[in-house]
Amino acid sequence: MDLPWTLIWAVLALPLVGSIIQAVMGGRITRNGTDEAGKRLMGFLAVFFVAVPFVIAALLTLRLTNLSPADYPEPLEAFDWIALKSMRIPFELVIDPLSMTMTLIITGIGALIHLYATGYMAKEKDYARFFTYLNLFIAMMLILVLGNNLLMMFIGWEGVGLCSYLLIGFWYKDVANAKAANKAFIVNRIGDWGFCLGMFTLVAFLMANAGQAGIPADLRWFSYDVFLPNCVVLLQQNPGVATAIAIFFFIGAMGKSAQFPLYFWLPDAMAGPTPVSALIHAATMVTAGVFMLNRLHVLFELSPVAMAIVAGIGAFTALFAALIAFGQTDIKKVLAYSTVSQLGFMFIACGVGAFWVGIFHVITHAFFKALLFLGSGAVIASMNHEQDMRRYGNLGKYIKVTAFTMVIGWLAISGLPPLSGFFSKEAILGGALGNQVAVIGDVPVGVIAGWIALAVALLTAGYMTRLTFLTFFGTKEQWRLLPAHEDHHEAHHAEDNSHDHAVHGDHGEDVHGFFFSDKEMATRHAEHEHHHDLTPDHTPKEVYPSMWIPLVVLAVLSVAGGILLNNNHLLQHWLYPHGLTLIPHEAVDGHPKGWVGQYLLLMGIGAGVLGMVWGYFVYRNGLPKDEKDEDSWKPWRRSANAQFGYDSTIMDAGVTGGGMLANLAWWFDSKIVDGLVNGIAGFTGGLGRLFKASQSGYARSYALMMLFGGLAIVLYFVYVANSLGGKV
Amino acid sequence: MEGSNLLLPGYLSVGLFMFIVGVVGVIVRRNPIVIFMCIELMLNAVNLTFLTFARFRPSPALHDVADPQIYMSGQMMVVFVMAVAAAEVAVGLGIIMAIFRLRQNVDVDEMNLLRG
Amino acid sequence: MNTEMMFFGALAGMAMISAIGVVAFRDAIRSALCLVVNFFTLAFLYFTLNAELLGITQIVVYTGAIMVLFLFVIMLLKVSGPGSLQEKPEIKWFLGGLCGLGLFGAIASQIMFPFLKSENAPPVEGWGSPMNIGKALFTQYAWPFEMASILLLIGIVGSILLAKRRI
Repeated sequence: MDLPWTLIWAVLALPLVGSIIQAVMGGRITRNGTDEAGKRLMGFLAVFFVAVPFVIAALLTLRLTNLSPADYPEPLEAFDWIALKSMRIPFELVIDPLSMTMTLIITGIGALIHLYATGYMAKEKDYARFFTYLNLFIAMMLILVLGNNLLMMFIGWEGVGLCSYLLIGFWYKDVANAKAANKAFIVNRIGDWGFCLGMFTLVAFLMANAGQAGIPADLRWFSYDVFLPNCVVLLQQNPGVATAIAIFFFIGAMGKSAQFPLYFWLPDAMAGPTPVSALIHAATMVTAGVFMLNRLHVLFELSPVAMAIVAGIGAFTALFAALIAFGQTDIKKVLAYSTVSQLGFMFIACGVGAFWVGIFHVITHAFFKALLFLGSGAVIASMNHEQDMRRYGNLGKYIKVTAFTMVIGWLAISGLPPLSGFFSKEAILGGALGNQVAVIGDVPVGVIAGWIALAVALLTAGYMTRLTFLTFFGTKEQWRLLPAHEDHHEAHHAEDNSHDHAVHGDHGEDVHGFFFSDKEMATRHAEHEHHHDLTPDHTPKEVYPSMWIPLVVLAVLSVAGGILLNNNHLLQHWLYPHGLTLIPHEAVDGHPKGWVGQYLLLMGIGAGVLGMVWGYFVYRNGLPKDEKDEDSWKPWRRSANAQFGYDSTIMDAGVTGGGMLANLAWWFDSKIVDGLVNGIAGFTGGLGRLFKASQSGYARSYALMMLFGGLAIVLYFVYVANSLGGKV
Repeated sequence: MEGSNLLLPGYLSVGLFMFIVGVVGVIVRRNPIVIFMCIELMLNAVNLTFLTFARFRPSPALHDVADPQIYMSGQMMVVFVMAVAAAEVAVGLGIIMAIFRLRQNVDVDEMNLLRG
Repeated sequence: MNTEMMFFGALAGMAMISAIGVVAFRDAIRSALCLVVNFFTLAFLYFTLNAELLGITQIVVYTGAIMVLFLFVIMLLKVSGPGSLQEKPEIKWFLGGLCGLGLFGAIASQIMFPFLKSENAPPVEGWGSPMNIGKALFTQYAWPFEMASILLLIGIVGSILLAKRRI
């Protein structure tokens, strides 16, 4: 059965409809979160409006796989969004392998996480609000990947940013969450700045040089199928412009995908509910940058320098985040840094020209990272919302399904064959070590990035082993050792970087003054409502089926996804070629020459195994003594915990520096700009006061003035007459 | 002929003098009726000037034509000025009456509101 | 100096003095009477200019109609008499006088000398006669004449509207 392509609109519309239904009727049906049956209905609807698009998208993808690239459907236009004399931006969707792959991930993983969330959020009062945001997020993400022009991508780009903000700050009464949401939103704005600059530069350049490439007949300057071919013609002669545009877009990707200078919002984003962390901050939204690089790969391929920068930043981020992960004690924080690190891997892949590998890793990472996050959520739920790994231990005994699935996730991310992570990681390492594309001058940045990636693979296996053993294995059940009445305020929302710690520690001082006064901060803390005590006699219980079913599905995908997609280069041939690759396939075929190529497989597996073995020996008995409390930590772990000081430095610099800048601007505005404006007003007022006296209202004064005027005119005539020689 | 040459400036200076007196009177006096009289004074000064020029400088190009009909414009002007002045006096005095009825006072300096 | 000049000089002097009287007297009645004298003098000046009909019209319209109207209003408003309206000396007197003098000087300086040496036109027979004025008025100036009549009609209606308490 061939579905009509236009059904793609339904894929886009259904989550939006779902969101509106949740927003409009959710509160009433769930009786503000008190009615269990209403919650069940709304939960079902939330999943339904994501699952149905998945089915449709899957059927459409099936139809697409049977076509040759030449037969792919034209972009589907709905209406003209912006119509100018020289430019037209329609609301249009594109159906091609890339957009459909992303659509499948978003709706598929999205549906599973929605299902999980119905269980995870079961006790939540604002049930419908949560699913309103979550459905809206799916709709926005679909606009991002399905839109056929840069501006539609930008709608989605901003829309997912908004949903991310709303969901991080979902429990907005806790000031730490609200601050994390603000941080994410503000840091993302920096990326959006780059995105906008890239977009404007690109289109301005194309339109200015339209003479060479030809003005598109339907004026859709922003549409991919129009400007990408034009870019090939124009930008090849202007490598400088190409590099600038590519780097601008990469700045956008840095913000959204949490790459090095702008990564620091993502760990804080873990303040949101765990399903959000899994869906938005691991599986889908943060991969938007990788998607964008794939979508605009022509731009990047035109500039080797930009490619090298992408690869270099990716490699550095991967290493940096992996090191930080060792210093974290919060289970979600470890996963967050792991996500940053894995995103770095994806950018390495894109940077060395193996764009399809980037998407491959997006897919496998979506499987196993969503699995790990959901698993961690299950652990947290079963441990009375305790997130500190140092209070876990031997949980495998109590929550068997969760433990089993998370072990699979651990093995997958560590790159053990034949799990999914292994294939994508091998492809990245092969592509990076074998490439000749990402080169600045004589420095083979791509190859260096490949070696760094190999080291990071080792580290990844190490910190994931640490997480797994601290949580599920070991001999001691650490929470049994807790004193009976301890305040876990801090542990609950574990703010692991130093400056946030200070803020959270003394409960009343908002160091950076984001938006609350001290007094408000104090009241907010008093309202702290998600506080449950973990007591020594607590017995962890397995979570609801609605929560572990997605875990099982994701575990199966984590195991099998890699083999299925890599079989006969399935994904590679599916995604590529799609028309415009400039880099020949041989350059990124993933088979480095010489000894590196021969031992690549061995090195990749070896790195993972080595990391796991190291982790096993360190953590096989549970929590080592020197990690127990922070006083006994080694200096390197302490500094890793504080993100090597990066976050606090940048926040201080940003906030203090920003404050100084704002003060300067304020001074300029109040003194000079206002002075100018007020000066003009004052001058006019003074003139008015001066002449007010003349407007006395006395008719005779006016007559006198008329007389003055008449006299002046007559005198002027006299002067003229005299200057003419006295002749009238 | 010396005397006839002095006549034209003489008539003009009488007209000018009356006009200036009228102007100064408008400014100096506060009684609206007197102000009105001063306006009449000015109108008459202008009438006198018109007649003077009509008599002594009717139309330089046509000095030797004897038909009086071509020299009428000055006198016509005076006729119309008189008509307008009559209408003006009637309306103006009516206004003064109306204001007096409203305010029981006819000081010009107190008529400084742009409403009744 | 001939008789014409002397006659003119006497009339001009009377006109100027009575004009000053209009402004100078504090009492409105006296101003009005000075104005009557002034208008009469003007009528005689018109006669000396050979404008007989206009001189007569001046007497009839101004001294007869308009001045009577003035006197009626003065009587009705009781603005005459001591204490009715105090004219106080103020800066305007000085400024107005100064400007008046200036204006007089400026204009007089221009009109005196150019006309001193020019030759006056000879009087035209029948120039100011009723017949010629009537002929001009009803032929060449018929249109402005009708306009003036409409203006007067409007003036009549307007003054009635203003003066009557209830219409």
